[in-house]
Amino acid sequence: MAKQELLPGQKRFSIGGAAADVGLVFWFIFSLFPIAWMLLLALKNDQQQTTTYFQFSPTWSNFATVVSDKGTQMTSVDFKASLITSLINCGGAVIVSLVIGIPAAYAAGRWRYRGSEDLMFQMLSFRFAPELMVIVPLFVIYNQIGLFDTKVGMIWVLQLVTMPLVVWILRSYFQDLPEDLEQAALLDGYTRKRAFLMVALPMVRPGIAAAALLAFIFAWNNYVFPLILADTSAGTVTVAITKFLGGGGQAYYNLTAAAAIIAALPPLILALTIQRYLVRGLSFGAVKA
Amino acid sequence: MATVTITDLRKTFGKTKAVDGISVDIDNGEFFVILGPSGAGKTTTLKSVAGLIDVDGGTVTIGGTDVTRVEPYHRNVAMAFESYALYPQKTVSDNLASPLKSGRTGKYTEGQRTERIDQVTTTLGINHLLKRFPRELSNGQRQRVALGRVLVRPADIYLLDEPLSHLDAKLRAAMRAELKQLGGMSNTTTLYVTHDYQEALALGDRIAVMREGRLVQIGTPEEIWRRPADTFVARALGQPEINLVDGLVDDDRIRLGDGSFDVPVPANVRCDRGDLVRVGLRPCDIHVADPNTAAIRGRVMLAERLGRDVELTVDVAGTQVIVLASGREGVGEGATVGLTVADSDIHVFASGEGDTPRLEAASTLEVAQ
Repeated sequence: MAKQELLPGQKRFSIGGAAADVGLVFWFIFSLFPIAWMLLLALKNDQQQTTTYFQFSPTWSNFATVVSDKGTQMTSVDFKASLITSLINCGGAVIVSLVIGIPAAYAAGRWRYRGSEDLMFQMLSFRFAPELMVIVPLFVIYNQIGLFDTKVGMIWVLQLVTMPLVVWILRSYFQDLPEDLEQAALLDGYTRKRAFLMVALPMVRPGIAAAALLAFIFAWNNYVFPLILADTSAGTVTVAITKFLGGGGQAYYNLTAAAAIIAALPPLILALTIQRYLVRGLSFGAVKA
Repeated sequence: MATVTITDLRKTFGKTKAVDGISVDIDNGEFFVILGPSGAGKTTTLKSVAGLIDVDGGTVTIGGTDVTRVEPYHRNVAMAFESYALYPQKTVSDNLASPLKSGRTGKYTEGQRTERIDQVTTTLGINHLLKRFPRELSNGQRQRVALGRVLVRPADIYLLDEPLSHLDAKLRAAMRAELKQLGGMSNTTTLYVTHDYQEALALGDRIAVMREGRLVQIGTPEEIWRRPADTFVARALGQPEINLVDGLVDDDRIRLGDGSFDVPVPANVRCDRGDLVRVGLRPCDIHVADPNTAAIRGRVMLAERLGRDVELTVDVAGTQVIVLASGREGVGEGATVGLTVADSDIHVFASGEGDTPRLEAASTLEVAQ
């Protein structure tokens, strides 16, 4: 029998390939299961929240409860306000990190001097230690200088999380950028600052988008710092979620799940919005490969 | 328009001496070519003149002013990069307008800018590409845009780093001719870096041959071609490469190979009987002659037709000599041929390891170091 001609891109069936596909499907189900379980849990009522079978009467009321006054009374934390606080804290931390981190990354990527590597490494060193290790001294200091439970204090501490991320990601982007382009700008008569703004900066836009998104997610998901260093006025949504588990009273897993889903929305929306800026390859055609 | 003086320029990258003590004076309006293999330090030299590199030692003077520590944007030099360095997010038109908009190359109205860009793009044959982005251009077109960004502005010095290297052979020959006219037209001092000896010979008022961070020889194309300072320069110019044969001086003859053939000692060469020397004979300077009358005889091992000419590999008593013969001679493989060389075409170098210097009365040579 003559072999059937394959179209370009078409593949012959193979057992190994099929096995890999099946394996991937199982892994996919396994890894998505917690999210699916959380979605289901968020739709259950108080009576059925601890059942483990899939038969229940779904309700949207949990979402309403989380953001209502009733939810506030249950947890003594205004969930809506904590969402806003989170946005301010994380947005502030990301903006501070970008404003300071982009020039820092550019300098680190372009100029080598004695100790420049050590300096970069030192920036990262804060991320090596568990946050709990530094939290006690930070708590003491924050109390003494009046930064405890303030938004400025939260932005300051979250910036410690986001800044190294921004600098390290963008440094590699700047290093990949051919130096010839900025040099051409210098010879065109532009100062180093204008060469940076006119040539280098537009070309790392995808990098800035990626770094900003990652920084925002890291800041958003941070739990330990707001738990210890903030209370009602600067408390973030990550801490607010856990209040539904109840302190001694009844634990509302369904409300916790609903709150977690709401809290996951802002980073998700942000990621989808800036997705198109994440495309690389802008520098194609600038210099020969 | 300005003179350029480079004095004892030094630059080290890590452990590599990219430029190792270069000194050169370039005249006002001169077209000065730096020729050398890759890694010789040509681009580093160029970027040092542009101010894009912090030099380790030495000075750069432009128009009599020491600019060694002056920022690039104050030097009023224009440079075409080997990598083109076109702004990817700008159109060709905006790329060309960039140096005119910085305010440091003079003040231009919108109309004056357009006029200048029109003029230069017409000359370079890229005026139909103005609205395109660099990514939409071929390498040859990009290179011409890069050249255009240099020519569009007035500058004291043009620095051109391999500006023709990515063009195809035909276009390169055409651009070479055009470039010479452009250079003459604008009369701007030009430093031109290339690894192509033909470009260097065709374009340069003077050529500096560079190797491993040092200038081996500076001279007019005629001088570099007729009197290469050492075997490196001799080998760098010409295709096929110059024949180098070791020999022994015997009275007024130099016995070559195993001693079975010889050439006369040229008039201006000083060497004594018994000296070991290395003789250079350019393939194009060796002529095929009647084997019965010619002093040198050999058998053709290989004949490769290169179009108009034929490259012959001739075995002369065990020594292989490359000869560039006219295709009309009709010499085939296996034939016995006679070879003649004019006395003035015989280059004599010292013998020894590596590249060796030319043996000639020193006063006739302009040697860099």
